Amino acid sequence: MSLSMEGIRPHYPDYSNAPMQRHFSPYADNGGSVVAIAGDDFVVIGADTRLSAGFSIYTRDQNKLFPLSKTTVLGCAGCWCDTLTLTRILTSRMQMYQQEHNKTMSTVACAQMLSTMLYYKRFFPYYISNVLVGLDNEGKGCVYSYDPIGHCEKATYKAGGSAGALLQPLLDNQIGLKNMEIIGDSKLTIEKATNIIKDVFISAAERDIYTGDSVIINIITKEGIKDDKFELRKD
Amino acid sequence: MFDPTSNPPPFWQNGPAPGAFYNFPNTKSGPSDEFQHSQAPITTATSIVAIKYATGVIIAGDLLGSYGSLARYRNCPRVLQVNENIILGAGGDYGDFQYIKNFIEQKIVQEECLDDGFKLKPKSLYCWLTRVMYSCRSKFDPLWNNLVIGGIQDGEPFLGTVDKLGTAFTDKIICTGYGAHIAVPLLREAMEKNPNMSKDEAKALVEKSMEVLFYRDARSFPKYQVAIIDQNEGSVIEGPLVVKQNWSLAHMISGYN
Amino acid sequence: MSILGYNGGAMVAMKGDKCVSIAADKRFGIQAQTITCDFKKVFDMGPRLYVGLPGLATDVQTVMEKLRFRKNLYELKENRTMTPEVFGAMLSSMLYEKRFGPFFVEPVIAGLHPTTHEPFICNMDLIGCINQPDDFVVGGTASAQLYGMCEALWEPNLGPEDLFETTAQALINAFDRDAISGWGATVYIIEKDKVTVRDIKTRMD
Repeated sequence: MSLSMEGIRPHYPDYSNAPMQRHFSPYADNGGSVVAIAGDDFVVIGADTRLSAGFSIYTRDQNKLFPLSKTTVLGCAGCWCDTLTLTRILTSRMQMYQQEHNKTMSTVACAQMLSTMLYYKRFFPYYISNVLVGLDNEGKGCVYSYDPIGHCEKATYKAGGSAGALLQPLLDNQIGLKNMEIIGDSKLTIEKATNIIKDVFISAAERDIYTGDSVIINIITKEGIKDDKFELRKD
Repeated sequence: MFDPTSNPPPFWQNGPAPGAFYNFPNTKSGPSDEFQHSQAPITTATSIVAIKYATGVIIAGDLLGSYGSLARYRNCPRVLQVNENIILGAGGDYGDFQYIKNFIEQKIVQEECLDDGFKLKPKSLYCWLTRVMYSCRSKFDPLWNNLVIGGIQDGEPFLGTVDKLGTAFTDKIICTGYGAHIAVPLLREAMEKNPNMSKDEAKALVEKSMEVLFYRDARSFPKYQVAIIDQNEGSVIEGPLVVKQNWSLAHMISGYN
Repeated sequence: MSILGYNGGAMVAMKGDKCVSIAADKRFGIQAQTITCDFKKVFDMGPRLYVGLPGLATDVQTVMEKLRFRKNLYELKENRTMTPEVFGAMLSSMLYEKRFGPFFVEPVIAGLHPTTHEPFICNMDLIGCINQPDDFVVGGTASAQLYGMCEALWEPNLGPEDLFETTAQALINAFDRDAISGWGATVYIIEKDKVTVRDIKTRMD
């Protein structure tokens, strides 16, 4: 009598060859846009406050800017549950660094740490467009942008998130002065950077359904982080 | 005439098999050494309606446990008093909710045993549940629920929600499931007109939302419970309350015969 | 990527004060490989009527030929010039005829009415759903970038010179952020008594 081993075989997940079939998606696209502009001694970052999924708006008042230190702010757009997790780990890593070395982590070090943390989850990534801004060791404004698996690029201005494609060429033109023949050597001021951020968000809210409600702006100077907020269209 | 050698066409589609009374939702058979993750909810509960008013929070949910399209269990309470500071409501898979309820209760007992005079606060529970839901989703074994956490912390009302992915946020108005489409616009309009609602006004508003949801959500039920937590009056669970039904309007709707 | 983005291309049309503009890039490529930098995507269909056809290059030329044929036939039969509105309706119904096997083009039309000189712009999807706003229309693989640019740069009642500058800046900055469009641009400014065509040098990468 052949007792079938198949029926009573215990389950060892590690030795199983059967393909796992999964319908559940662990990611959601919760939208949102982030824009950052750096100057000589300041950096400005703005993010809209709409949290949405598909055609529903979860909330109209969600801050997507996370201050990591007195000179560093992270802006996140994309999968919100990943954002919550990543920023929570980041703040605790900042605290661990502070307590271990008895000094605050610099923006440059923070930028490198974020890249490493994102790549650590290379095969199950955090689905987030990150834009990290701050003042570097010389007090100069800087912007770092990332892809979801940790590719990092330093820039002076960056648009990310759901309206990134709409806004980046506008920043190229207005901040990068691309395709401009007569270039006045007017220096970028905080006022000018803030106004451009306001203008580009108003444009984005016209065409991107995931951007709207209002914008929270953080202005980082050596004096600290200043908050600003203004309203966008809510439809 | 169909070819007698081939299989006959099905009697009907999108319904239970002949001789069966209902469709068991999402049944599939696979190789035996697969680990069965909970990939779809089985017994489900529909919307949760919650609002934060001037001095407290109200959370309402009906008592139906649906089994696919079958209205199977008619007494499934899903709003809780966690302790005197916290109330909680849940939608989605009822089994997963009972599991969550169980370990929240264990946690409360453990805190009670410390007897240090401290009580779990709503923001702590909200944050912790966010991590629980996120860790389950990261193992591809999600708890298929929408949780709504209400409470009073430092004299201020608190209202937050977590979904099966761990997506969490706080707001003055939170509705899940069908309520997100039907009740939220009603509540937002009322909240805009009257930002500092009293408890009674808020209660009337929730009652109205439950009525509208009962008319339009096919997975809803007229019996529901309401959890209220207030700065001054503490927390209670009221119910089962019954939606005041009025179907006289139905006679005026023609074209469905 | 969809077949609409097989050859790449960017296009925009704007309304101004008694004038309209239409502009397109000059690239023709096969996916990422650039073949030529003098590809025509905007065609004159009358003295003050232009149509731009971004999309699959083979269909661009087929649709252009069919349009020219139908428009000429109309003008011979009716003995009058075709208005931009009628041209739009004709193109739309021509595209919808192929509802379940469409031409892969998303046309943009710009022109002035032959007698009243009323500015007209419109665009449509590949099966002919017309969109006729009173500011600007965009098309092609850089449409998201173009929306962002136009939404910020466009303002009402631009004169022909300002309209040229606005259109050119919107198009060039938009396609500089698109890998499969660019490599030069052509801008048409259509006025009552003249049409100005300018070829613009851009970065070639």
